[in-house]
Amino acid sequence: MTDEQRIEEFKRAVQAGHKVEAGDWMPEEYRARLTKFIEMHANSELMGALPERDWILRAPTLQRKLAVTAKIQDEVGHAQLLYRLVEDLGKPREQIFQDLISGKTKFHNVFHYPTKSWGDVGIIAWLVDAAAIHSQSALQRSSYAPYARTMRRICWEEAFHLKHGEDIVLTCMMGTARQKRLMQEALERWWEPLMMFHGPPAPPETDKDLEWGIKSRPNEQLRQDFLTKYVRRIQEIGLTIPDPKLRYDERTGRWAYTEPDWSKLYTIVTGNGPASQARLGFRRLSYEETAWVRQVVTGGAQLTA
Amino acid sequence: MHVYEVFRQEAEGESMRHVGNVDAPDDELALQYAREVYSRRGEATRLWVVPRAAIVEIVDPDFLRPPLDHGYRMGEAYRVTVMKRRQITGKEASRDA
Ligand SMILES: [Fe+2]
Ligand SMILES: [Fe+2]
Repeated sequence: MTDEQRIEEFKRAVQAGHKVEAGDWMPEEYRARLTKFIEMHANSELMGALPERDWILRAPTLQRKLAVTAKIQDEVGHAQLLYRLVEDLGKPREQIFQDLISGKTKFHNVFHYPTKSWGDVGIIAWLVDAAAIHSQSALQRSSYAPYARTMRRICWEEAFHLKHGEDIVLTCMMGTARQKRLMQEALERWWEPLMMFHGPPAPPETDKDLEWGIKSRPNEQLRQDFLTKYVRRIQEIGLTIPDPKLRYDERTGRWAYTEPDWSKLYTIVTGNGPASQARLGFRRLSYEETAWVRQVVTGGAQLTA
Repeated sequence: MHVYEVFRQEAEGESMRHVGNVDAPDDELALQYAREVYSRRGEATRLWVVPRAAIVEIVDPDFLRPPLDHGYRMGEAYRVTVMKRRQITGKEASRDA
């Protein structure tokens, strides 16, 4: 069998539902795409801990402080699980971190923005995590079995993140006019990043990650799923979604909305978002400051930083 | 650093189930990391960490699923026995016959 035949056979198998394990043979292109995809996911979990981290000391009650801390610990835990997958695919953790802090690899758009108020903490935990759950649930059907299994565990943990966020939002919406305004303003700040979250509506047939079964649901479909589930939930508690074009088209069975500026998404994820450099700077600093821990743990072996 | 595979028992008497892995310099830290990553919510009653190098694996279908008829090992293959009882006794067999 030639290499091309072997690759074609592999592709046919994953498209028919075959699951790949870490030690199995896989085409180089599959390995490279998987590595890139999971690495970005892992980076996003790690960087995603930072916007909320700013609010541990400012949480309004002890209960909220505990919940925010637990959620952040979960996100870092998700990064741990995913970095292990990337390492098993052949990329050493040192390299992963170097690439992240030097800006060579990316993380999700929503983590490039600052958090301005407690309202942002509620909206992020409720809606950003909701958007993430939609993609992560679909990834439970990934052709790469270790990734699919990790998604099952992550989704199970995410359930509390959503509830915690929704509870913050509902509590404010039952409060004073000022509290309601806090939430409305936060929603207005986060709506555009949320609409960009699942990425541009690339035609499924040109999406290589779909072709290899790394992911199983097209970007636009994930966004539609998110809108179907959350638009009503957002509106019925008295919040106004800042998009005059947003409406459900009965005829097509799809949501119409103002097309986000996709070039802006690209600008943001390449490190030019309002908080990108501050977040990377913080990550760089903590990487340097914890170098001694890694040194102690590994007895100085195989460490350069 | 070594990769350790992590197995978790979720309730007394249940089997140990593989849940993932951690990267650690020794057994003791491997257990600490496994607790932190796989039992933050107290999901485990017992944890095993096993150096990945200690695992012996086979996935060969010719070895694991040879094309033989295993029917005689399965309870379902003995439906005919129920028929025999019916013939002998002339009665409808009870559900659990
Ligand atoms: Fe997460
Ligand atoms: Fe989360």
